[in-house]
Amino acid sequence: MATSFKQIEENLKNEARKLLEDGKVSLVLAYGRGYDEKHPVPFVAKIAADVESIVFNEYCTANMARYLVRYPRGTKMAVAVKPADSRAVVQLIQEDKVKREDVILLGIPVIGMKNSKTGEVIDSKTTCGLYNPVLYDVLLGEEIHGQPVVSPYDVLAQYEAMDKDARFAFWQKEFDKCIRCYACRKACPMCYCDPCFIDQNKPKWGEKSPQSHGNLMYHLTRFHHLAGRCIDCGECSRACPVDIPLYLFHKKVARECEEMFGQAAGKSIQDKPVLVNFRVDDSDKILE
Amino acid sequence: MKKTAIQKISDLAAQLMQKGTLIAPVQEDAGFNFREVSDARQVDLNFYNTLMSPKSAFFPQMEDFVRYQTGKSVLEAVPVEMGLKPVFLFGVRPCDVKSFEIMDIHFSGTGAVDPYWQKRRENTVIFGYAFDVNTPADGADFYSTLGIGAADPEGSDVFMMKKSDDLLLKAVTDKGEKLLADMSGLTDATPDDLKYFDETVAAGRSFKTRFTCVEAKSIAKKFEDLFHKTPFWERISDACLSCGVCTFVCPTCYCFDICDETLFGQGTRRRVWDACMFTDFTLEASGHNPRTKVYQRLRQKVCHKYSYHVRKYGVISCVGCGRCTRNCPVNIDIFSIVDQAMKE
Repeated sequence: MATSFKQIEENLKNEARKLLEDGKVSLVLAYGRGYDEKHPVPFVAKIAADVESIVFNEYCTANMARYLVRYPRGTKMAVAVKPADSRAVVQLIQEDKVKREDVILLGIPVIGMKNSKTGEVIDSKTTCGLYNPVLYDVLLGEEIHGQPVVSPYDVLAQYEAMDKDARFAFWQKEFDKCIRCYACRKACPMCYCDPCFIDQNKPKWGEKSPQSHGNLMYHLTRFHHLAGRCIDCGECSRACPVDIPLYLFHKKVARECEEMFGQAAGKSIQDKPVLVNFRVDDSDKILE
Repeated sequence: MKKTAIQKISDLAAQLMQKGTLIAPVQEDAGFNFREVSDARQVDLNFYNTLMSPKSAFFPQMEDFVRYQTGKSVLEAVPVEMGLKPVFLFGVRPCDVKSFEIMDIHFSGTGAVDPYWQKRRENTVIFGYAFDVNTPADGADFYSTLGIGAADPEGSDVFMMKKSDDLLLKAVTDKGEKLLADMSGLTDATPDDLKYFDETVAAGRSFKTRFTCVEAKSIAKKFEDLFHKTPFWERISDACLSCGVCTFVCPTCYCFDICDETLFGQGTRRRVWDACMFTDFTLEASGHNPRTKVYQRLRQKVCHKYSYHVRKYGVISCVGCGRCTRNCPVNIDIFSIVDQAMKE
């Protein structure tokens, strides 16, 4: 039986209070009250008194690992992580954006998170579907046993049934909706480039206007920059105001990486990121 | 005042489509949006709010000015014709109608007239719509806080509201009067309808959304005092991702960038929406950027709407439509920021 959200909130508060009082961290990345219960806001507790404002419920979907890179290196931080979020932290540690000793992971095993926009339960369709964080220092609820019933890649079946032209037409239709608000890259814990390639103007990689070819340029480049790095939290798709199913492409690339290199992004802190690592027995399929 | 049966809305739409371009709420994958209607049956007034604001009817996200060829003389550049037809902007919420008035300040009111905005404005008949007098307010809206009624006819040319199975249409301006007189299939409203209309407009004014009423001047002053209180702004922006959703869906955000975009030698000079939440918005040619931090950008956005705008033009540049709050990926609510500031 999974620990209740209320209990997790209580544990999160206690743990955060302890860490801040003992001076072990200078901030705790968690969730706070929004304008109503269904809309919690990412919240940074900086002193013990802030802890009272922490909440945790089924709508706390934001990936708090996104905020880690915002603080100067060496800042001692604690971060509340759900399963996919913990993978993001692992990936950030692998990429040397965060040091393992600087971050304390407050792991949250979850099942039945909900999308506050649609009210739908979030499962392996749009995320990695894990129940327990892959890395944590403290676990704030009981570990959830049993494997997700559906593989995170099952959702690809319908997409893969399409031929090349149909797939291109599918993405073209989806990208035509894009308004270029860049919420996808901003919500993404792995999109930390400053400046992002699309913001550069010397040289200019893509156009600013929301037209088919520019949108395609932006999204395809972003997809490929995340190859082997996307930890499948699904935040890009949830952040998207026009509901572009970005997770589909990320899942497709993630699976190919996994098949080729036998490793999924952010699963183990001992791994090296696939695309910066070379092994003699690496698959040559990537060159085909 | 005229009326027609709700079921006959597509007849009304078809007539407007014959007279010009009809832009109306249409159901799409991600919710309702104002779109140019190609099939009269698409028009649907059963919406609560559209994703994007109707500002794009006058100020599209992308507007082409001039086309040119690289390597050719500038004298060969060709201005892009606007190709104007009469436009009917159908089913606009009263708070969105109010936003046009605020945008007018910037696009024509200060003396420097933007011909693109101005021509479209003159060419458009606005059909306002009392959208939620009969439904409880969505949590994100706060237009009544800013003194806008749920059924205010001001600013529209024709104002519409539902009365059981009927749609009442009242001409507010001469433009609207002329158009309604020209339409067929409408019947005259009864005295009962007239009474209902006035009652609904009055009821709309006492319709309550979040927060209690506020005074623009005191908010503006408060933000001026808070400007240098960095810890406050840092706390407010801890969650902000600095994406552009809030500004793009906003009916009163009007920042744009003019850029030359070239593809295979064919170039276009166009203006594209820009957003103060983007890092490169304030990036100067020297490489210096006065707003590198998220808190500086969020402060700019909030203070512009609630402080600078009040000081310069006397009104808050926000109509409380709730789109920014509803679409924020991390659920930041702009009026909660105002609320917190007032408690500082």
